Amino acid sequence: MDRELIVAIRDLTCRYADAPRDALREVSLEVHAGEFHAVLGPNGSGKTTLVRAALGLLRPTAGRAEILGRAASEWSRRDLARVVGVLPQREDNLFPQRVRETVLLGRYPHLSLFGSVRETDRAAVERALVACDVRDLVDRWLWTLSGGEYQRVRLARALAQEPRLLVLDEPTTSLDLRHEMELFELVRALVDARRLGALMITHHVNLAARFADQVLILADGHAAARGAPVEALTRDTVERVFSWPVAIEPFDGRPQMIPLRQRKDAP
Amino acid sequence: MRRWAHRTHLAGFLACIATACGTGNRAPLSAGITVTDDAGRAVTLARPARRIVSLLPSFTELLFAMGAGDRLVGRTAWCDYPPAALAVPNVGDGMPPNIEAVAARRPDLVVLYRSAQNAPAAAQLERLAIPVVVLDLNQLTDLGHAARILGRLTDRKQSADSLARVMDSAAAQPPAPSTHSLVFIVWDNPPIIIGAGSYLDRLAALAGGRNVFHDIGSPSAQVSIETIAARDPDFVAVLSDSATQPSFAARPEWRVVRAVRRGHFLLLPGQLFGRPSPRVAQAVRELRRRLNGEGGAP
Amino acid sequence: MKYAALLGVALATVAAGLLLGPASVPAGEFLRSPIVWQLRLPRVVLAYLVGGALGVAGVGLQALVRNPLADPFLLGLSGGAGLGAVVAIALHLPGPWALPLAAFAGAVGAMVLVYRLGLIGGTGGAGGELDPRILLLGGVAVGAFAAAITTALVSLAEAAELRNAFLWLWGGFSAASWTTVLVMLVYAPLPLAVIAAAARPLDLLALGEEPAQYLGADVRRLKQLVYLAASLLTAAAVAMSGVIGFVGLIVPHVCRLLWGRLHRTLIPTSFLTGGILLAVADTLARTAVAPRELPVGIVTALIGVPLFAFLLRQWTVS
Repeated sequence: MDRELIVAIRDLTCRYADAPRDALREVSLEVHAGEFHAVLGPNGSGKTTLVRAALGLLRPTAGRAEILGRAASEWSRRDLARVVGVLPQREDNLFPQRVRETVLLGRYPHLSLFGSVRETDRAAVERALVACDVRDLVDRWLWTLSGGEYQRVRLARALAQEPRLLVLDEPTTSLDLRHEMELFELVRALVDARRLGALMITHHVNLAARFADQVLILADGHAAARGAPVEALTRDTVERVFSWPVAIEPFDGRPQMIPLRQRKDAP
Repeated sequence: MRRWAHRTHLAGFLACIATACGTGNRAPLSAGITVTDDAGRAVTLARPARRIVSLLPSFTELLFAMGAGDRLVGRTAWCDYPPAALAVPNVGDGMPPNIEAVAARRPDLVVLYRSAQNAPAAAQLERLAIPVVVLDLNQLTDLGHAARILGRLTDRKQSADSLARVMDSAAAQPPAPSTHSLVFIVWDNPPIIIGAGSYLDRLAALAGGRNVFHDIGSPSAQVSIETIAARDPDFVAVLSDSATQPSFAARPEWRVVRAVRRGHFLLLPGQLFGRPSPRVAQAVRELRRRLNGEGGAP
Repeated sequence: MKYAALLGVALATVAAGLLLGPASVPAGEFLRSPIVWQLRLPRVVLAYLVGGALGVAGVGLQALVRNPLADPFLLGLSGGAGLGAVVAIALHLPGPWALPLAAFAGAVGAMVLVYRLGLIGGTGGAGGELDPRILLLGGVAVGAFAAAITTALVSLAEAAELRNAFLWLWGGFSAASWTTVLVMLVYAPLPLAVIAAAARPLDLLALGEEPAQYLGADVRRLKQLVYLAASLLTAAAVAMSGVIGFVGLIVPHVCRLLWGRLHRTLIPTSFLTGGILLAVADTLARTAVAPRELPVGIVTALIGVPLFAFLLRQWTVS
């Protein structure tokens, strides 16, 4: 099955200005259409840096990052926004807005400079709202939404861009169990139904193992492991990367990580 | 005889004591001069002033006019009349006064114009034990009063008083029947005009010129050009030492004013008109001449 | 519906500006009166243009620094303009245009200086990108610096004329004429168009610089262009009519309350509303204490401060 290569990162090395060390060292990654990739790793291991470099916000000192065969730095922001929909970790909300307006922002890369919103734009917004199950919330103010609803609205905005690739940076950090599961399920469903690529940075190792096709574990800027969850999430790797003893147990054909207690005299 | 002499001596002695008590401090008797200046301060000199620093051109003129010009040891950069004043050393522009420059002249009297800006200067000079007399000079009527005080402080009472009488009578003249109307423009952007509170308004009235903004009580005020245009003065008066029209005359919005359009300007030299001057009578005559001599009937 | 009301109010304020004034113009002479056509009409039109420029500059700046409490005069432009004006007077530069040109040059000088300061500490890999927080801090610093030099000059030179310069700086449309209107009409459209074209990217910028980039905004260029355009509009406003505060601050707020925060509507409505506000303020300045005239900057401050306090409460409560 020949799936289209959306993101190709090869031996990428990046360093922030005035930093003493590389933030990323020789990291490689390939995301095809219909693939759900998870990026795991401790804080500061370079996960967000990887996303920034992949999307042309950061110039690599070595290696290449390509989207759809073209170097990331050669894409105009507008064109790139029509191909990649991103949910960044942090976002400001200066002014109160409604769900409808927010999702419409996703159409901006498709709107001409002075042109108005067309039927096609409105239809794309509708589809995105329905796919993320937030159609009923369309007239609500953003600040009245729960955490889970808010994330789904942001996902709808990214979908309204009609991208080939979704990039999500820790989308479930403050969500409860149910909303977290719903989000993972949603991303998985979108990847399967629309043959999108998905690249998700997450702290939730177990859910990544359950839902993702491929996993990339970063430690200190370099790739500690890469591949299908059952290959990449071994006890050695996880203990080394996260500096904590774990046990790995299979569940539903996927490895699940169980952190062990440190204190020997635990009851 | 002896009793009469006794009484005279006694009276004189008592008078001296009374004077000494009146001045309140250690002033020597009999030659001491005390006046109350316009700031309510008691100014006491042991002797008539011999080394005077004048910090306003009008005071410089007054001192020269009463024959005390030879006692001036310091003047401001603006004091340009009479020509003899230019020979007196310059102690700066005086706004506010440069205390060090003034003190360096070792004056025994400093004549200071009363204003909020000059209040700290008065205090500083006092701390240096330099006598300061603070005088108003905003209206024509202040001239006579200032002359009298300065006359007493310089022991030129007689010439000062006669000078004061001349200035007072010039200032007290009834307004002449007005032959023309005018507006005094101090600044063009925004337009600032002279009102009834200023000596220029009085000067104009004496010369037969009606200030179209006489209804504004303050010395100066900001107005719109359209108000000036609507009041349609015959002349636009500006303080100017040059012979050319002021630059705002070329601006399109000012040309709505008839006097500007027709070039009816009164360019009044600062030396004579820029401040209340002892040459009041001359100023009035000059202004009257220009009001009537300038072509263009209203 | 609300737009129609806005246009109606705009026309009404023009009419008021023509009909009201310290001079009474008899009805029969109205159509021929030079006071109306050479003084009042250009003045009302100039007030509109300047108010509109300040309103749009305020919108652009508030979006750029992502703070709805920013005023175009926070960027140090008023300090620079004041310094330019005082220098022109102290040097006795000739000609009726010396003052506005010098003020404009001073404002532009301040703009360049603040821009350079704002480039220090840029974010992202490109380096040398404007940091909006530093723009504000730099603006305050440059403004204070310019004000200090201005004060020094005033104390060293002829006091009376320079005191009058401060009156000019407080704002006023006394120098309005068809010439000044023409200058504004030629100059203003370009920076206005730049900000208008940035309407959609500015909506995105409200989310943050990184999210805006992911949604297709070229944030680096956007910041440069909007900063320059907003500053040039403000510099022209100062040169024409001194420092008139609060317009750039209040107008975007009011329009956001009435029309929402999307810049496609916010920009044109801010232009009209700013024009209305300033035209009304100018008419009040001319008539409230007739025959005297108040500086327009004082009228906008008197209207603007209570309005600002009210809006501030609304904003912090929500």
